[in-house]
Amino acid sequence: MIKIEDRLSLLNYKIDKSYEHITINPSICETCPDHFCTFACPAKCYTLIDEKLNFKYEDCVECGTCDTACSHGSVAWTNTKGGHGVKYKFG
Amino acid sequence: MIKMALEIIVMIKQVPDSSEVVIDPVTFTLNRGAARNVINPADENAVEQALKIKDANNDTHITVITMGPPFAESALLDCMAKGVDRGILVTDRAFAGADTYPTGLTLAATITKIGKFDIIFAGEESTDSSTGHVGPGVAEFLGIEQASYTSNSWVEDGKVFAERQLEDGVETVKMEPPCLITVLTNSNIPRNATLRMKIDAMKRGIETWTLADINLKPEWVGLKGSPTIVKSMKSIQEKKRAGKKFTPDQMDEFVDELISKGILKFGGD
Amino acid sequence: MSEFDVIVVGAGPAGASAAIRLASNKVNVLLVDRADPPGSKNVSGGVLWGDSLSQVIPDWEKSNMLERYVEAKGVTFLTKDSKISIDFRSKKFGEYKSGYTVLRTKFDAWLAKKAKDAGAMVVSGVTVDKLAMKDGKVIGVEQSGETITSDSVILAEGANSRVAYDSGIKKKPEDQKIALGVKEVIKLPEKTITERFGLTSPKMGFASEYVLGFLDGGVKAGGFLYTNRESISIGAVISMGDLRKNNQTYSFNVIEQFKDHPFIAPLIQDGRVEEYSAHLVPEGGMSVDSVYGNGYMIAGDTAGLTFSNGLVLQGMNYAVVSGILAADSFMERKSKGGDMNFENYQKNLENTFVLRDMNNFRGLDQVTWSESIHSTIPAIAEDAMLNIFSENGNPKKHLSQIVISSALKQKDKRKDLAVDLYRMLRRM
Repeated sequence: MIKIEDRLSLLNYKIDKSYEHITINPSICETCPDHFCTFACPAKCYTLIDEKLNFKYEDCVECGTCDTACSHGSVAWTNTKGGHGVKYKFG
Repeated sequence: MIKMALEIIVMIKQVPDSSEVVIDPVTFTLNRGAARNVINPADENAVEQALKIKDANNDTHITVITMGPPFAESALLDCMAKGVDRGILVTDRAFAGADTYPTGLTLAATITKIGKFDIIFAGEESTDSSTGHVGPGVAEFLGIEQASYTSNSWVEDGKVFAERQLEDGVETVKMEPPCLITVLTNSNIPRNATLRMKIDAMKRGIETWTLADINLKPEWVGLKGSPTIVKSMKSIQEKKRAGKKFTPDQMDEFVDELISKGILKFGGD
Repeated sequence: MSEFDVIVVGAGPAGASAAIRLASNKVNVLLVDRADPPGSKNVSGGVLWGDSLSQVIPDWEKSNMLERYVEAKGVTFLTKDSKISIDFRSKKFGEYKSGYTVLRTKFDAWLAKKAKDAGAMVVSGVTVDKLAMKDGKVIGVEQSGETITSDSVILAEGANSRVAYDSGIKKKPEDQKIALGVKEVIKLPEKTITERFGLTSPKMGFASEYVLGFLDGGVKAGGFLYTNRESISIGAVISMGDLRKNNQTYSFNVIEQFKDHPFIAPLIQDGRVEEYSAHLVPEGGMSVDSVYGNGYMIAGDTAGLTFSNGLVLQGMNYAVVSGILAADSFMERKSKGGDMNFENYQKNLENTFVLRDMNNFRGLDQVTWSESIHSTIPAIAEDAMLNIFSENGNPKKHLSQIVISSALKQKDKRKDLAVDLYRMLRRM
């Protein structure tokens, strides 16, 4: 089994340092009973560290899964701008 | 503070996306063919620096130039979509195989043809060859002042100021225009073009110049004009390193190992 | 006076086909893609079935952007220990069009180039925010607070339809209307692929869909494996509802379980993973209340025009056809004097296989993701096969006796199985 971190390292991203295209509402995540995002997100952008939800937008592959996965309204999802974000070689 | 109308020229280059350049596992050479082209990252910062000066100085006019193949048009259009006024592609079969000397000469001749300018911007270096020659070379050909490796620059009372990032600190230099400034990678965050400006850039289009337009002789440019001779190229093969793990309760053995390998020596004997 | 006749949002097969069709007919069209280069955020399993693209690019089959022609089509059930498959190969695939495997980043950039060559303005690396509305009519697109005007907009932004959501013309998908596709591209030498899959030439390919009935925690997912020229596209399409119910399996590990299956691992052995990707897959047919409105049409994945029934997994062909029909519907209206409310697009879709397939197979997704398909039927088949093909010293039974006795072992699932079989038969 190849670790997800190793698989993500194969990807080319043009990271937007001035705009986070997804934001979460930590106060909602704090009381979340399921943290389904941590299982659903295929790029492991959502992780639990010491029971606290941690989110990083840099590894996002822009599939939109988390927006559907989160049924508690914490995820605010927008498209990346200016050609930033993931840039596939094969697709 | 007097705001002045400025003529700015930015030199850019299209390079293979360095995160896509792969090393051939057999020959250990760089396989650039697999990579798509992007604007050299430092050049994007140079364009942004020019645009910042334009933001602060009314009536500033920016021209972006590149020497490259016809498909470099897209790089110029991208710059124009961000607010650059004019794009010139200098392209000719005669330019093929140029090292940094004729490249600088070609760009300097292009700039001479453009005419009046106050500041020339360039990226510190390109990711595909990393020489950092071209910017300073152009300044020398044109006989103007230059500031390299800058993180910021501005114009005040007709003078050009630039902050150079040096090993032991930041040096602020003051120059008389015309002058040349090379810009560090990641020294600013390049702006996004809007759809309106992208459409507008495409409608305006770029200008294409050839050798005939810039008054240089064919033997001065391209491979013929290049003094660099590549004798051979060697790829560095990764050495297999030996490794051995010790746990914290094996400290004695660890120290013995270091001594036996000659890594650790005791003085005074 | 609008700046463009048509603005097409999204340079995938739907958007690019629409733009090529329009530009070839001298329509002033703008094709916008948020990726730079266009198509570099696009992902699919990777078979373009059928010949629809010939309507806009007559010689498309000559393109070197195509990977391999599918001469071998598989449908496979995988249980923990077994593989039960149909491996259909036919010389007749020459006349009955199957499809080509494609790698989308390359393929879609080529389509966008075709649109440009046909005369479309192609802009990439800029994200449209939403549709621009005036008096209940779409009058163009909004981007960075500015409006770019057009007589109509064709929305083909894919399954993750932010422009449609933010313009209030599509609701975000419920779990049962969406699945998560994860994929890897695995590099292997051309010759190895040709030999390993028993293909007749390096131009010929293998494509199979899989029912993954063995996943940890009973997660339901379909698999796919397609051969490209020098790589294999392998992936899993995971039911969102099921993943949520399970809530302990990581989506990114499902594909690894598929790859590690004893009868899949040898197919990708010695291959090097070159890329990992993920993308949403619309499920269960149309995902919008209406595919048109005043001044706009919706095409491809954005409209939910994909099809999967366990045997095939298709989307790009529907995208191409819907894109072309949207273009034609615009030109039809334009020639008749400008009413831009496109019920003709809906009618045109109904007259082709696109909406017919959607209607004929409505509700089939319930079967596709059922317990019967994922576990009961494979278990019966596995048990029956073991009885038929092994020699255990007992007298041989008739095939029907074997199947019945295998089925009886699953008797607590009997009722569900009957319901699912009824649903399946009704739609055949």
